[in-house]
Amino acid sequence: MPKLRVNPNRMELMKLRKRRTTAQRGHKLLKDKLDELMKEFLGRIGRTRALRSSVEKELAAAYGLVAIARAEAGRANLAQALSSGEPLDLIEVSERNVMSVRIPEFSVMELGQPGTYSLAETPAVLDSALGSLATVAPRLIKLAEREKAIELLAAEIERTRRRVNALEHVLIPQLTEAIRDITMKLEEAERGNLTRLMKVKDIIAAQEVANNEAAAKKAGRASE
Amino acid sequence: MDEMLRVAVVGDGTSVAGFRPLGFEVFPVREPVDARELWSTLTDGSYAVVMVTEPVWAEIADLAAEVIDNAIPAVTVIPGAGSPGGVGQEKLDHAIERALGTTSFIREEGE
Repeated sequence: MPKLRVNPNRMELMKLRKRRTTAQRGHKLLKDKLDELMKEFLGRIGRTRALRSSVEKELAAAYGLVAIARAEAGRANLAQALSSGEPLDLIEVSERNVMSVRIPEFSVMELGQPGTYSLAETPAVLDSALGSLATVAPRLIKLAEREKAIELLAAEIERTRRRVNALEHVLIPQLTEAIRDITMKLEEAERGNLTRLMKVKDIIAAQEVANNEAAAKKAGRASE
Repeated sequence: MDEMLRVAVVGDGTSVAGFRPLGFEVFPVREPVDARELWSTLTDGSYAVVMVTEPVWAEIADLAAEVIDNAIPAVTVIPGAGSPGGVGQEKLDHAIERALGTTSFIREEGE
């Protein structure tokens, strides 16, 4: 960890202390955010996993029915029957804010109505195949929404964790170290000053004693 | 941001055909790799959900990673007709790993 290069004076010390307080407050806030994100994230995972496995099962069953319909009607007939229908604007997208992560919410409008194909030329199983696809479709969209939310939360958790770690293991220790260095430098300077003053005082006192002795000798000689 | 958007389904003809009558926009591709050319259309903001079959996902995973942090489109893997499944779960695990650093803890909980 590189050391912060700072001038060892009181001004710098005050600045660094202020920065450290801010960093500590930010660290606490981010840590709380991370905890809350985690709670939200873990709560969603179980539900999404369950939804995915049930949707996959339903979808496989629907594919099975489509395959039977194809076998009965023939590829060309089936393709023709399924070529009806226009792409619709199916989903209304809104946003929800979870710990400042903007998560999309999808509400499904009415699905297209299958059934514009010739009932005479297609097998009955096609109706049930499309019926089961129509049942699974809203759940598929729900799954997409939940998985997206999980992905976005995961990204935010990763970012927040990095910030928390950077503050906890880099910035705050660096600032603490710099503050300690400056305090020690200042204390050392203070001690140096004190010692110098004591030394000067001793020298002055010694000079005064010498002066007094000299003066006393002079006075003695004069009286003789 | 309330707006009406579409749902796209990309995959082999057999898997996607059934979605068309429901109002989904289907993009049948002959080879999974052809989906790469469609990608810019799919991410132009007119699709809220892009469903891709597992073989297609294998080809476009790197492109999808670029839009993973955007709110839309939500890219979802669906098992195609005849593919084994499980890729979607893997994708979910990947997100969990990104957040927690591991998936083992969640797995134990789920089982």
